[in-house]
Amino acid sequence: MIKSVEEYLDVLKNELKGSDAATIQDALADAEEHLRVALANFGEQPERSEEDALQQVIEQYGSPEETASAYREVERRTLPSLRRETPAQRDPALKRFLGVYDDPKAWGALLYMLTSLVTGTVYFTWVVTGFSLSLSFAIFVFGLLFAVFFTVSMRGLALLEGRIVEGLLGIRMPRRATFFQKDITWLNRLKNNLMDKHLWLSLIYFFLQLPLGVIYFTLIITLFSISVALMAAPLVQSITDFPMISVGMARYYLPLWAAPLFILTGFLIWTLTMHLGRLIGQLHGRYAKMFLVTE
Amino acid sequence: MIDSSTLTKKFQKEMNAGIASLVLLSVLDKSQEPMYGYQIAKLLEEYSGDTSFMKQGALYPVLHSLENSGLLESKVEPSVSGPPRRYYEITNDGHETLVVWQSVWKQMNSFVDRAIKGG
Repeated sequence: MIKSVEEYLDVLKNELKGSDAATIQDALADAEEHLRVALANFGEQPERSEEDALQQVIEQYGSPEETASAYREVERRTLPSLRRETPAQRDPALKRFLGVYDDPKAWGALLYMLTSLVTGTVYFTWVVTGFSLSLSFAIFVFGLLFAVFFTVSMRGLALLEGRIVEGLLGIRMPRRATFFQKDITWLNRLKNNLMDKHLWLSLIYFFLQLPLGVIYFTLIITLFSISVALMAAPLVQSITDFPMISVGMARYYLPLWAAPLFILTGFLIWTLTMHLGRLIGQLHGRYAKMFLVTE
Repeated sequence: MIDSSTLTKKFQKEMNAGIASLVLLSVLDKSQEPMYGYQIAKLLEEYSGDTSFMKQGALYPVLHSLENSGLLESKVEPSVSGPPRRYYEITNDGHETLVVWQSVWKQMNSFVDRAIKGG
């Protein structure tokens, strides 16, 4: 017999064990919203005891087992948009090597690495500002309000970053913000938020997003420039008649036979960069999930 | 002995899988304004009368997947009393898809009816 909404959520979480962490977070948020609204509506009929009301609400909503199986069923049918079958191992090596150009995950990862410099800067600035203001405002009464505002904003940012990660890296992330109770005092809310280890994990994640963003951005831009330079050098030399190789003061023309070699090397480097990007994207997605998703 | 109630439950569940999407889209298409989960569940309870076709909890994952495929949109709004609520609204794509689905449903319906009656 389930005695409270919290207990229902605990059982539901247990039932969903082994499912995707993001699915679990969504399922808990939905259930908490529905059960609390339904109970609030029941509250208007005072002749019923609270326990009775909860039993009836759960009867209509479905037991934790039923709810869990409904989520698992739908989850099985809806995969993140970029998720695809991994290429069969029996494909020839060359096809697998070049297949990266056809993989939206690789392009998504490159885009993610480029934009992470911008988003990383924004996250970093907000985290550092918010955190230090929360600390220094703590001596004022309104400091409490600011601290609550800051901790709540962390969840919003975590959800946003989750959407970006799912969209570009194809890793399933939560679609719902975690639910928070409305009828508690500001102080208790702050306490709840501060006790939540995910607040601290997301703080660390957002803090590290700037250095990571700088590394990602630099890496992609550098490799891109090298491969484009290699591919373009023979072409530019043939048009401008300007010697492409300079060693010290001496300048040399690129021999004609070397042109295909340069182009091929440039192409090779870019293809490897795409593979590298895809790999980093997958690793980053897993890391983001570990830090931003409530278990 | 075949356990007919388990089989019936399974049959109901399999049928619900597609129908729930059609029903939810239709409800949100008819509605003048965005609705939240509990509101939708209450309305469906009214439609279904005494028999309950599916648990309310099973509606939410379907709403999810409809939103994920771009047929619905949602936003969270704080409420005067109680927890914040997520409001769902049908998109243009959703409306167009619904028109197709409804005609599929009509054909399906008459096909099944004929099969049951035997011609």
